[in-house]
Amino acid sequence: MPISLIVLVIVTLILVLMYNSLVSKKNQVENIFASVDTTLKKRYDLIPNLVASVSKYMEHEKSLLEEVTKLRADANKPNISDAQKIQLDAKVSSALGSIMIAVENYPDLKANENVMHLQHSLTEIEEQISAARRAYNQAVTDYNNAIEMIPTNFMASAMNYTRKEVFVIVESERKNVNVKELFN
Amino acid sequence: MKTLSQLTDFYYKNLFPTLEALELQRKNLRYRVILVGLFFTLVCVVLVSLLPLETMNIELFSVIIFAYFAIGTLLYKFLTQEYTDEFKTKVLKPLIHAIDEKLIYTTELHVSQRIFERSELFTSRVDKISGNDHVMGLIDGTKIEFSDIHAQQRHKNSKGKESWSTIFRGLFIVADFNKNFIGRTVVLPESAQNIFGDLIGNWLQSKNFLREELVKLDDSAFEKEFVVYATDQIEARYILSHSLMQRLLTFKKKANHPLYISFIGGSIHMAIDYGKDLFEPSIFHSLLKYKIAMEYVSTLHLALGIVEELKLNQKIWSKR
Repeated sequence: MPISLIVLVIVTLILVLMYNSLVSKKNQVENIFASVDTTLKKRYDLIPNLVASVSKYMEHEKSLLEEVTKLRADANKPNISDAQKIQLDAKVSSALGSIMIAVENYPDLKANENVMHLQHSLTEIEEQISAARRAYNQAVTDYNNAIEMIPTNFMASAMNYTRKEVFVIVESERKNVNVKELFN
Repeated sequence: MKTLSQLTDFYYKNLFPTLEALELQRKNLRYRVILVGLFFTLVCVVLVSLLPLETMNIELFSVIIFAYFAIGTLLYKFLTQEYTDEFKTKVLKPLIHAIDEKLIYTTELHVSQRIFERSELFTSRVDKISGNDHVMGLIDGTKIEFSDIHAQQRHKNSKGKESWSTIFRGLFIVADFNKNFIGRTVVLPESAQNIFGDLIGNWLQSKNFLREELVKLDDSAFEKEFVVYATDQIEARYILSHSLMQRLLTFKKKANHPLYISFIGGSIHMAIDYGKDLFEPSIFHSLLKYKIAMEYVSTLHLALGIVEELKLNQKIWSKR
């Protein structure tokens, strides 16, 4: 009798630990996503200002500016899923990158103090976003590992936990960034 | 900043007359030290042989051995004091000023205990801290200071006998970091994962109650060398960007000794565990020897070079 009781206690303990570790991994993902979201919002907030500052000069890139504005509007819609936010982020990153490259073609624009300020702010926020994305990806990897590995996978399927998506880290971000060029 | 080869050139060209004079002094001194050492040993042997044999036991013997080494070290220090001082003022100081004239070099000072403890690199209680060869100033507009540090902890056994253990001995560097942050991020040499493998090592590291949260980074080469703890997962990655991780790895290779790094209070702290007092001349080795010379030149270059190496001078825009 006592032996079966001990076994029961141990099994219960293991189950509780497994359950708790899964819940804490899921919460970690959610926590970090909240921070990702905050930094992403900071960047979205810059967009109207940026568009207003450059639109006078950028006649040929009207469509690019419109796209960014549209993406921002999409991102600000209520009830969009995390996966959608991740997709929007990738699109905004590439669109903003194209705008920044285009700015190089307009000497007036490059010298404009407001644009310069925006560029610097954007670079800083990009760094923060990149850090947040990496933290999120690690949290998701831990979570995904837990729900696919034995023995926690049984518990996870019982709890209806499913795989989560990670951010795609752009290859250019992995390279050693030339900080001098970015900050000057 | 001057390159390593420029500094080596300076050492052999500009300092050559001084080095030659010191070399002569060293040879005479070595002769004197050996004589005094032999005489001292002889006196000790005679004194011990005069002791009655029945009073001899292990305890007394160990006391005598201890006294022999302690007095011997003091004698050596006393005899070589002048030579050491000359080396520091005539060789080390000009060498530091060759890197930057405005750097302040003080032989007797060291990085303060407050900064050492703030760095959180070592969790043991510090009971005694000593050090020397303190260098402070601006490199490319970035504040930096470093010195030799020897931090020790006192232990008492059940009999009340006191003993000391070394927490850290080596080079301690502090510099302004180029990004803003508020949390605390600590980067330590990897040990658990190397001994126990990835899975168990990782689990053990995540259960380190003396430290903050474990941060797993997305650079496998960096993860192999270091383990990172931080108060904020995102901030740790904001500080440890891919490029900084690469640079720290390069720095680690150059330093070739265990490296401890922390980012706290707007500063980067680095402790390189050499296990000995640096920048001290030995009377048994010529200062003209390339290997000996490089020890001083490259260590100085390594410490002051972190500003360039880690790009600490490229401040993020809002920190300018």
